[in-house]
Amino acid sequence: MSGDSGGSASGDAPGAMDARWSQVAQRHYDPDGDADLTTVIVFAVAEAEGVDPADLTSPPLYECVDAAAIEDAFFGSDVFGASRRGTDTVEFRYIEYLVRIRSDGWVQVYARADADSPE
Amino acid sequence: MDNPDPNDGAASDALPAEDALALSPDVLELDPVYEALGHPRWRYLCYTLLEDDEWSLTDLATKVAAWEHGVSAADVTDCQRERVYVSLYHAHVPKLVDEGVITFDETTERITAGEHAEQVLAALRGMGASLDSDQEAHARADE
Repeated sequence: MSGDSGGSASGDAPGAMDARWSQVAQRHYDPDGDADLTTVIVFAVAEAEGVDPADLTSPPLYECVDAAAIEDAFFGSDVFGASRRGTDTVEFRYIEYLVRIRSDGWVQVYARADADSPE
Repeated sequence: MDNPDPNDGAASDALPAEDALALSPDVLELDPVYEALGHPRWRYLCYTLLEDDEWSLTDLATKVAAWEHGVSAADVTDCQRERVYVSLYHAHVPKLVDEGVITFDETTERITAGEHAEQVLAALRGMGASLDSDQEAHARADE
């Protein structure tokens, strides 16, 4: 069920380094903090969207990606040493944003550069 | 066809879907039980269903935040509640809905037991006393 709305594995999915995408928000996820990865992603997208996180309801993130599975893979208690310090990334599309999760904990939200800029 | 069943010689041209249907329903129904036990928040949500069979998402978020922060429900801050609410809404609730353990009414934001809830609750009743008793006691406490 996860990833079917556009993961980085698919050949024609835009990568975050593509010039057509520009970063509009980022938040840091701390495995020892009290916000899980799902919450950090939704807060970051809400910031990009300019809304309260509780008002970002449709669709649920779960319909785009299994964030709990990414959290486990990147930050789970059985991930040690070099793997944890590496910079693997996962990208997926959510609403009109491209969300990039880095294994160093940074959650970056990109919007299409040709879309109207809020600033 | 990718995984031919060695016990299935005579009917080797059966479609995979038919192979799946031939499994005992009892076996298939264990999957949602194992899935639903795999995350502390999922177990917590299941325990709360043991206490009361209908919850609002906001009340559940308050209860989970109280448990995770070790405070009473009255002392949960708006910020703590919102973080848990967002996580439940965007990940944990739809996951358990997928597994048939709970149902969620998006309009009223009410959560009730789903078709597989009884199996999960039965498993929790069996293991809760020794493994998860603090969490179960908190989830079932009337605050």
